[in-house]
Amino acid sequence: MIDIAHLSIRLPDFSVQNISLTIESGDFFVLLGPTGAGKSLILEAIAGLVPIATGSICLHGTEITHLPPEKRDLAIVYQDGALFPHLTVEANIAFGLRYKKKEVPDPDSQVQHLMERLGISHLKNRKPATLSGGEKQRTALARALAVKPKILLLDEPLSALDPTTRADITELLSELHKEENMTCLMVTHDFAEAQSLSNAMAVINNGRIEQSGPTHTLFHHPETPFVARFLGVTKKLKSVPPAAVPGAKRLKS
Amino acid sequence: MVLASVLVILLVLLPLLQMVTGPTLSNLADAFKDPDVRGAVGLSLATSFGSATICLVFGTPFAYLLARKNFRGKHLVESIVDLPIMIPHPVIGIAFLGIAGKGHLIGDALHALGIRIMGTTTGIVAVLTFVGLPFFIGSAVSGFKKVPERQEHVARSLGASFAQTFVRVTLPLAWRSILVGFIMSAARALSEFGAVIIVAYHPMTAPVMVYERFTAYGLAYSQPVAVWLIAASLLLFIMLRVLTLRGETPE
Repeated sequence: MIDIAHLSIRLPDFSVQNISLTIESGDFFVLLGPTGAGKSLILEAIAGLVPIATGSICLHGTEITHLPPEKRDLAIVYQDGALFPHLTVEANIAFGLRYKKKEVPDPDSQVQHLMERLGISHLKNRKPATLSGGEKQRTALARALAVKPKILLLDEPLSALDPTTRADITELLSELHKEENMTCLMVTHDFAEAQSLSNAMAVINNGRIEQSGPTHTLFHHPETPFVARFLGVTKKLKSVPPAAVPGAKRLKS
Repeated sequence: MVLASVLVILLVLLPLLQMVTGPTLSNLADAFKDPDVRGAVGLSLATSFGSATICLVFGTPFAYLLARKNFRGKHLVESIVDLPIMIPHPVIGIAFLGIAGKGHLIGDALHALGIRIMGTTTGIVAVLTFVGLPFFIGSAVSGFKKVPERQEHVARSLGASFAQTFVRVTLPLAWRSILVGFIMSAARALSEFGAVIIVAYHPMTAPVMVYERFTAYGLAYSQPVAVWLIAASLLLFIMLRVLTLRGETPE
């Protein structure tokens, strides 16, 4: 479980204010919001890559707010994969394993297993520059999963992909989440992605949480016009009981 | 346009061609056998690479800081780094002697430590570092900027410390620019005359020797030394071009 309390981040031209979230173990949690809302900043703050102004972050009951990124047991996957261009696919996946000897005692079989599971064994000697978008993202996922993180952080992992590859990777993410029972925190601006992958979510706008909760609750009961608009709920009619309107008759179908 | 281009190329090439074709082979051989000439070229190479090494050691972390961090006064710091390019080089020599002289706080401290600037190899290396530093920093900063910060972030989140990330991700991607900066600062130092002649006429570097032979014996005597100096500079230039061109070729 990850517990974020009153998190604030202050940059010269932008700030994220008073973010409080609880992500349960095994959740696929989505931070949804428009571009520039501050959702990627929150993700990087959780990873320890951006300094926070106030607040605390607890992972499984242990405070990690002031730990350096390498001590947090989290792994991040970016939109473009951010693969190391000087290393082969296999070396990219194995990158973090020398720091995780306790968690992964047999790094070679871990790398082989992940390459097979993600269908990239045939690419193991290739450099990232020669890979397609989908292959890059599969490699980036394998590299993150290799270190067995307590939480997988996904920063718009689907937005740079073509529609077919996006559907493939969405399915893969869903399968991996179920197989590994992994806690995932994904940032996206696409409500369809959020709906298909998440069981819980928060809608962020201009550095603040507009609403958070189970995914179906947000889609069926948006609390603010912004959330309703952003989730694609274009019109909401208020029902009025016939008795409240003088002279009104109920139509029979 | 073509005529202007040809004129510019000729302006660069003709004096150099005249220089290398002027002396006979026996003149060049005699110059190479001359222990003074070999000593001067050797000293120039040693002090140039010495100063480039100082730029590398101290300039690399500084360049990384400039590439990665935004802080108040950053533009001022960047301007200060570039300042040596604009200052007339004899002025640099005089400025160094000014702070290294007796009666100055730094000069007194250096004297107390037994470090002399005037007429020493230390002095030569000091001014060469000064003139070479902007070339090293400029190239290293651009190299570090080309490494996406996200790749460093990923490495950190996978368990690598800052130092491990620098060694395993940043350096392998930026080494070419760092090496280009090293060679550029060495090449700049190798050709330095103005600052060196103020700080140390002796021990004599190759550019000072070219000047000394020219003023004492005339053009013909200065040319063989100059050709050896050009040869050393040309070697650095070729290394630089090979590195730059390979860097531009997609892997």
